[in-house]
Amino acid sequence: MGHLTNDEFFTKLVELFDSRKGKDHGHIYLTQKRLSYDQPPLPEPTSEAILPDLHPPRPLPVLVRATNGKGKADRARKIKLSTVVDPEALPAFFERYADACKAGMTTLKPRDRSKRKTKAKKKKTVGAVAGA
Amino acid sequence: MPHYAKSEEWLRESQLLLEARPTTTRITTKYAIKVPKVRKPKTGTDADNDTPTTTAKPARGSLVLKTYDPISGVTLKYKTTKAAEVSRLIMCLGKLSRPMAGLPELKEEEMADAPDEGTPAAEKSEAAAVPAVQQQAPAAGGGGGKGKKKKGKK
Repeated sequence: MGHLTNDEFFTKLVELFDSRKGKDHGHIYLTQKRLSYDQPPLPEPTSEAILPDLHPPRPLPVLVRATNGKGKADRARKIKLSTVVDPEALPAFFERYADACKAGMTTLKPRDRSKRKTKAKKKKTVGAVAGA
Repeated sequence: MPHYAKSEEWLRESQLLLEARPTTTRITTKYAIKVPKVRKPKTGTDADNDTPTTTAKPARGSLVLKTYDPISGVTLKYKTTKAAEVSRLIMCLGKLSRPMAGLPELKEEEMADAPDEGTPAAEKSEAAAVPAVQQQAPAAGGGGGKGKKKKGKK
């Protein structure tokens, strides 16, 4: 499967998260790495720059993948998404990415406010006693 | 394979690893939903053990960030279960995508990265790996969740 555009990737990613909503098990894997395939070749290593990939002449795109982690036994239900993010689009991409993940990862522990509230109450009563 | 207790440490070490091996290092974010464990209520323990018998606990999720370089075999991990951390962590991923793309680091960070211009990568990756090994010890399962005790603001 070829790469999706960034927009398509986000709609599919939201679908992927939604497919796990309300379920009590499952995994979603998100991966990112430098896209080094099908790129203009890097300069030959010289004695000053032994590893030319450390300082590429121009910024390289980043490959972002998402899967639901289904393996060989369950190939039919495997979802695999990938997209290529251009270097100049990275900040915008990650902002949308953060929103999508925040909305999708619903089973994480929400911020616990009840504890703080009871603590504050306790303090207040203690203060009142001390004041009286 | 060190697990970091703080996301800042993970971010720093990952940044070093990416600078040393930008082509092969990848970051995997695993979001896992698990069936909650059914725990027998303890008999006659402390009083704050409330609601032990409520049925149908919601599924608990976890988020594991892993930076992995298959060539040197360095793996750096950070795990959380808090929803409040998600957007910050994804922004960390965005920050880490800059060395991945070969872009210079943003100015706002005052990291002294000037002198390591022409250092061979082997040294750098070692430098990234050595502190990684040292910090392996505090990988205890975060049970209490009492690390972030804040004084009441009111």
